[in-house]
Amino acid sequence: MATILGKKWDEALEQVKTWARVNSPWAIHFNSGSCNGCDIEILATVTPRYDLERFGVKLQGSPRHADILICTGPVTLQARDRLKRVYEQMPEPKFVVAVGSCAISGGVFQGCYGVVGHIDQVIPVDAYIPGCPPRPEAIIDGLVKLLGSLQAKGEATAGEARHDSATAHS
Amino acid sequence: MDIVKDILAILIFPAGLAVMAGGLAYEWIDRKLVAQLQNRIGPRWFQPAADIVKLLAKEEVLPEGVDSRLFYGLPVVALAGVLTAALYVPLFGLAPAHSFSGDLIVAIYLLSMLTLCSGLAGANTNDRFSLIGATRTLTQLFSYEAPFLLTLLGPAIVAGSWQISEINAYAGGHWLLFTQPVGFVVALIGLMGKLELPPFDAPEAETEIVAGAMTEYSGRGWALFRLGKNVELIIGLTLIAAFYLGGLSDPLGFLLKTLALLLAVAGLQALFARLRIDQTVGLWWRAGALLVLAQLLATIVLKGMTA
Repeated sequence: MATILGKKWDEALEQVKTWARVNSPWAIHFNSGSCNGCDIEILATVTPRYDLERFGVKLQGSPRHADILICTGPVTLQARDRLKRVYEQMPEPKFVVAVGSCAISGGVFQGCYGVVGHIDQVIPVDAYIPGCPPRPEAIIDGLVKLLGSLQAKGEATAGEARHDSATAHS
Repeated sequence: MDIVKDILAILIFPAGLAVMAGGLAYEWIDRKLVAQLQNRIGPRWFQPAADIVKLLAKEEVLPEGVDSRLFYGLPVVALAGVLTAALYVPLFGLAPAHSFSGDLIVAIYLLSMLTLCSGLAGANTNDRFSLIGATRTLTQLFSYEAPFLLTLLGPAIVAGSWQISEINAYAGGHWLLFTQPVGFVVALIGLMGKLELPPFDAPEAETEIVAGAMTEYSGRGWALFRLGKNVELIIGLTLIAAFYLGGLSDPLGFLLKTLALLLAVAGLQALFARLRIDQTVGLWWRAGALLVLAQLLATIVLKGMTA
């Protein structure tokens, strides 16, 4: 890619991609054994009162259309394979947000006979939102922080390209 | 010189980048209006563009058990079809880039390509949601297509021509909205059915069948289908405004008339809940088609009496 377009173009392209990714995060919601408390808060977050569409967030039905997997609850033995499958069905680049105490640590379900544990024992997690359940404001804050880290990561990639070009020219 | 002009017409204006940008802008206006009607703030002005760029930059997953040539080819054909249709309509209030006798029929068929392609794309995958979505897409195509065609036939008969630019010129002196009100209403609702907007979004009902025919599409293919739909929105609004709202002869009139139509479309979207697929078919064939046929008959008889 870099050899075809040149470093400057590559850097600009990377910036455009990061801009689009940060401004259009589509989410899918998966419940891997939650008590429904967190799910209700997530649904409250996408209602007109909080209106996540102003940040470009849309709740999608198909994992193939989503960028962010919002997970709630501890992972039960039955849900483990499904969670993995939904994660693998999502196209790259993809990000995972664990919402609620149970998703972070297993919560009150820790050590239960039917429970594997928390989300990042099964799939890699990018952002954690604590609370039992977290308020919609907390969920929005967590999503905005995830987007901020994406922005920083994108700038770092673009910076690397800049650094590479500087060393190549010298 | 003519070749350069043709290439410009296809790539940039009016059929290429300009109509895509216009389609994205109209999608934003539509989403913003619906959001406002639902008491929300709504998306930012660059939202549709960000969505498309993000999808284009994403990985495209090829699901198991599909014909890969069809899977990759259908989105391109769909977008190409609607972009070609843009050559024959008076976009932005200017004269069509190409015009010949009978181009109305060609434009209508090119606009149907998108729906056909998305139906085929859904039937191509093994996914059960895609298959149900494809069935519903094609069922809906057969229900709205005939009434929609008849509504465009009405103006063509009174203008005595199959050429879009001639009908547009004729409509400049006659507001067909008042002489053929049924046709106007059915055309506007037919456009909503064509674009699968609520309340006619049974083919992609996300609460029942995930995303319908588009369930397995990700990345580039999904982006091209979305872009095709945006372009179809602006072309459909242009056609209806040109035929029923006194013709399109200048950019300002184009903006005013199409935005007024878009406001009506957004209002209907916010007002009604989703119809079941059998209710959609019933509405089109029991009410839409019969009313338009009656009006068409009246138009022909009146034309024969005055001639």
